[in-house]
Amino acid sequence: MQMQIALLGLAAALAIGIPALATAWAQGRIGPAAAASLAEKPELSTTAIILVAIPETMVILGFVVAVLILLRTGG
Amino acid sequence: MIIRMVRVRIAGRRALLDRTLALLQDLCLLHVDRPHLPDAMGTDSLASRERRHVERCLLDVETALDRLHIAADSAPVSQPISLRQAIRRARRVRRRADALAVAAAALEDERILLVRYREFFAAFESLVGHELAWPDQQAFYVILHAGSGAALTELRQRLETTLGGEVEVLHRELSSGEMAVLILASSRTAPRVSGLLSASRVEEVPVPTGIGEQNLVRALPAIKNRLADIPRQLRAVEAERQALAESEGAWLCSRRVMLRDQLLRLNARARVFSAKHVFVIEGWLPRPSLADLEHRLQNDFGPEVVVSTVGLEDRASENTPVALHNPPIFRPFEVFTRALPLPKYGTIDPTPFIAVFFPAFFGLMLGDVGYGLLLVLIAVFLRFKSSPDTTLRSVATVALACASSAITFGLVFGEFFGSLGRLVGLRPFFDRAEATIPFLALTVALGAVHVVLGAILSVFNQWQRGHRREAMGRGVALWMLILITLALLAAFEVLPSALFTPLTIAIFVGFTVLVALEGVVAVIELVSTLGRVLSYARIMALGTASLMLAIVANEMVGAMGSVLVGAVFALLFHLVNFAIGLFSPTIHALRLHYVEFFGEFFSPGGAEYRPLGHWHSSQ
Repeated sequence: MQMQIALLGLAAALAIGIPALATAWAQGRIGPAAAASLAEKPELSTTAIILVAIPETMVILGFVVAVLILLRTGG
Repeated sequence: MIIRMVRVRIAGRRALLDRTLALLQDLCLLHVDRPHLPDAMGTDSLASRERRHVERCLLDVETALDRLHIAADSAPVSQPISLRQAIRRARRVRRRADALAVAAAALEDERILLVRYREFFAAFESLVGHELAWPDQQAFYVILHAGSGAALTELRQRLETTLGGEVEVLHRELSSGEMAVLILASSRTAPRVSGLLSASRVEEVPVPTGIGEQNLVRALPAIKNRLADIPRQLRAVEAERQALAESEGAWLCSRRVMLRDQLLRLNARARVFSAKHVFVIEGWLPRPSLADLEHRLQNDFGPEVVVSTVGLEDRASENTPVALHNPPIFRPFEVFTRALPLPKYGTIDPTPFIAVFFPAFFGLMLGDVGYGLLLVLIAVFLRFKSSPDTTLRSVATVALACASSAITFGLVFGEFFGSLGRLVGLRPFFDRAEATIPFLALTVALGAVHVVLGAILSVFNQWQRGHRREAMGRGVALWMLILITLALLAAFEVLPSALFTPLTIAIFVGFTVLVALEGVVAVIELVSTLGRVLSYARIMALGTASLMLAIVANEMVGAMGSVLVGAVFALLFHLVNFAIGLFSPTIHALRLHYVEFFGEFFSPGGAEYRPLGHWHSSQ
């Protein structure tokens, strides 16, 4: 039982950790490109903010999955 | 709401063109567009030459204003003079202002250079006795960068190895850490010293130009005199600049306004059809203003200038300019609509929907009475600091709406700087720290409502624009979305499980119709729409994270040993959480609107309605 809880905890951590890394990687690629675009066209600031925020969906969904896993363990 | 526009054609006698344009500029109603006439438009060479003259004169006026440091606000219009006279006067003032600016800049540069080198001069001056002992020999003045002691030793060794006793190296450290080095060499060895310095990439200190002396030490008295003289010369230049600004400032300001206005009229004139005897102006104006325009033109010109509306068949609605008009309560939220390209004419202005949902999403994420009250303070401060009808005033109003929403949801959640709500007697109606799953369900349900609303608007939008097939496709996709939601609720027994089978059958039927109407792409669209609904889970995620950070901040008080230190850390942590709480919900609420909601119906690409009017300094 203890092992099962530990594995579920690990699964929850992976559910949020891996998408977080993926989001960070994606934002790390988008951020410099957006900054370079803004240097030439400052009027693109809204689009740049949206583009940087788009990959965060991954980590949000990961968070939801992690919460569901944790609540299934009763913790 | 996007104002309904009407396209009008104004025709009249050619001689009245300038007066007509002047009247239209006073009215500030008509967005001038090129006439859709069968004949090609002739270019008005007189107007383009006048435009070049006006642009040149305006450049002179604005440069002079800049050089004379005059804040060019609106000024009373001076006596009208001919363009030729204005060009001459503007050029004369600009040349004088340019000369004064160049003189002041040169003096300032010289002063900065001399002040910078003053310490170097003082250091070399203290070494001057040695030079005087070698009157017939040559001196080299060198500055080494801070921390270059090793470079000095190396330079000294190389000089002594190469030249033996015919060179003397003296040095003094400056307060900046740099090293002033004086190298004395005989006339015979001087060229070799110079070569060694070049090889070592060490530069000599240049003697300032205009002193009339090549030797730095012998130039010192002249440099000191020059340093004392420069401020007097700068004051004289400044006095002359002020005198010029006083005598010409008002004329320059009023001339700038007149030239800007003239340029706007000439730009409009470039879009006017003008033949030998007649002119035709076409353009857009809000439908309610048509009567006003007709009345004014009739009053001023009688039957010599006529107005007629252009029928739908003669124009493309794609080119219709867009003017947003919303009730005052929604108007500040136009700042979010205007952050993107404007919606096309004939489509939906999303501002009222943003005004309802943006503060709600923000409040759900921040949801804290304490943080909300802090935001009220910021909003009130911004409101007092801003002028009406500015972006800052709109931001202040939006911040006030968001603060109200955060306080309201803070009362619902029972949060006051996180868990301190209990201490001040707040009781949660909905405890989001405990009720994680209901909060998640609430945010996803809110997302479903928002996305479905977007889909309904999309159906309406497509239908109104005559794209019936697309409208039906979107309608079926909307029903699919609702059916899938209901089927999921039935599967999880939130709804009676007996509904699951008929709902599944309905989904399959709807799926077939959807593919028939919009192709296979519609299936991918449908899946991405479901993803959009789930994306609203971020409201719950950010809200919970904000609450947890606030709780951690409160627990610092007891965790630091000293209550005082703990309280200071807690305050700092709350401050950081508040900053995150302002930034993050704003970005994510915006993203939910721009990506999830707008993606369903928003059609960007509308041209902004810019009526011909008078120029003002905020343009």
